[in-house]
Amino acid sequence: MTTPFFITDDLTTGYGKKTILNNISFSLEPGTITALLGANGSGKSTLLKALCCQLPYQGRCLLKGQPLDAMSPRKLAGALSYIPQQSGVTLSLPLIDVVLMGFNPRLKLLERPSSRQKTEALRALAAVGLAGKEAEDYLTLSEGQKQLCILARIIVENTTLLLLDEPDSALDFHNRYQMMQILQEMILHQEKAALICLHDPVLALDLCHQLLLLKDGRCIASLHPGSDSLKQMQEAFSEIYGPVSLLRCMDRHGKPRLVLLSDLQKGALS
Amino acid sequence: MRKNDPQPPVSCSDYSLWEKRMLTATFLITVTLSLLSLSIGKYPLTPALLLGGDPQAVRVFLTLRVPRTCMALLGGFGLGIAGNVFQTVFHNPLASPDIIGVSSGASAGAAFGILFLSPGIFSGSSPGLSSGGLPVTLSAFCGGLLAVILTLALGSLSRGRFSAGKRDASIVLAGIAVHSLAQTLLMTLKLLADPEKELASIEYWLMGSLGGISLYRLPASLIIGVFSALGICLLHRQILLLSLDESESRMLGVSVGKLRLTVLLLATLLTAAVISNTGLISFIGLLAPHTARLLTRSSRFPTLLLGGLWGSLLLLAADILARSAGSGELPVSIFTSLLGAPFLIWLVIKGKGEP
Repeated sequence: MTTPFFITDDLTTGYGKKTILNNISFSLEPGTITALLGANGSGKSTLLKALCCQLPYQGRCLLKGQPLDAMSPRKLAGALSYIPQQSGVTLSLPLIDVVLMGFNPRLKLLERPSSRQKTEALRALAAVGLAGKEAEDYLTLSEGQKQLCILARIIVENTTLLLLDEPDSALDFHNRYQMMQILQEMILHQEKAALICLHDPVLALDLCHQLLLLKDGRCIASLHPGSDSLKQMQEAFSEIYGPVSLLRCMDRHGKPRLVLLSDLQKGALS
Repeated sequence: MRKNDPQPPVSCSDYSLWEKRMLTATFLITVTLSLLSLSIGKYPLTPALLLGGDPQAVRVFLTLRVPRTCMALLGGFGLGIAGNVFQTVFHNPLASPDIIGVSSGASAGAAFGILFLSPGIFSGSSPGLSSGGLPVTLSAFCGGLLAVILTLALGSLSRGRFSAGKRDASIVLAGIAVHSLAQTLLMTLKLLADPEKELASIEYWLMGSLGGISLYRLPASLIIGVFSALGICLLHRQILLLSLDESESRMLGVSVGKLRLTVLLLATLLTAAVISNTGLISFIGLLAPHTARLLTRSSRFPTLLLGGLWGSLLLLAADILARSAGSGELPVSIFTSLLGAPFLIWLVIKGKGEP
């Protein structure tokens, strides 16, 4: 039997005495993107924080058979990349320098990024649509552009497991899909997987291979849009988003796609 | 992913022309001020007199003017880059060495030195007030270092309570505690001091002066200062990573705790090496890095250097004024504060110093 790529087994965690997540178990396959869906406060961000060992937890998280919480900080940083909801860059720095920070786990303490790494960083900036802006000040960017820049940093980090906390919250319609496609390209041909918190179930249904639904700190369903039945998925979604309709339709190229609609209810205010 | 191939490695890898220009310009002004500082003082010095080999002129030049100018240059540079480090590490544009107790510790140390370690300084022929001899310098240095070690130790003890948030406040809280402790100690020492000479000396030390610099005391401070300044310059890339949220920098492979400790100790050593010689010098550590940031609109390495150069420039200017504004020698902090307070107000009005 081969070792599974990534598994989380019976994870329980919280802040201090307050338990946020109970007995979460799931596994990730290489080459896939998994979406974490759930209402606000359902524990999505907490799960990501626990996985990067910022919160103590009970249970096991194994990446290629190795427990995450036993890795040295440097090794962990080389295996995992994490984007918080908002990046904490608070100083005026050119974009290229922000992206180059992604090479840090591979550099020695006093080593400087090489010119090859700089070229790589420029290429990553071009890939996220920020070509030619490498000398601009990060702080003067719009929130969406900041997220794209941090995405470029993730590209150069080139780690095995990507943990992204709402990387699309400030992105426009086009860039949201662009971001997902970049992630797909990063992951598809390599031994990588991404776990990503999303608020948009349509985006998740469309472009993720697996969907984990969280409610009140528990994982209530693990869906695979490619193989699960519409009815089963619709029921699971109804549990977290209220009554919804899940439809399969064709896009203009004749490809079947999934669409989720919230059932309109009258009298929300009365 | 490869939409369009990037242009051949652009100049963005190097520092921009603007940054270089600002560095050159500030450097030239600093050199000019140094020359001015060498020639201004009670004893009139001219190049002709020096080249002519006038023994008195050469002696004044070498034992008074050169050390004093060097101290202003290096001290200002040190305070400028240390200030930058404190502001970056604490994510606080108003952070200064005092945030972790360096200056108040050094003040208490200096007062202790003046009271108990240098019985001889007032009996001899010391002309007027001086900021004290070697014992005072040593005592101030140790005081500053001790205060910071105490702060960092307390900060690491409290880990887990205040570090739950995004940004670790425990060191800052411990710093406030140590700061007030040192202030209390200073007050007690002032009460014990003989008001005629010792108290006056303490007050004089607290206002800072480059007057008492001698060539013999410089080398030790110089070695410590150069060592820590070099360390800071080498670690600059890592220091920038510390400016991120703790979780983010940890996931970029930074051992936040260790690195922060190292960097803070280096900045402390640098600050202590300067102020143990000069007494407290206000505002340079705040003023210089912000001026540099406003000029370059960036936080890269040249801005660190530019901040250092501005520190030299400001301290030189303040010292020249201190020597020439009144009939006697005035404390240098009067002039750094005169420059600093309006700037600080402007900074607050303008917001965090962002463009």
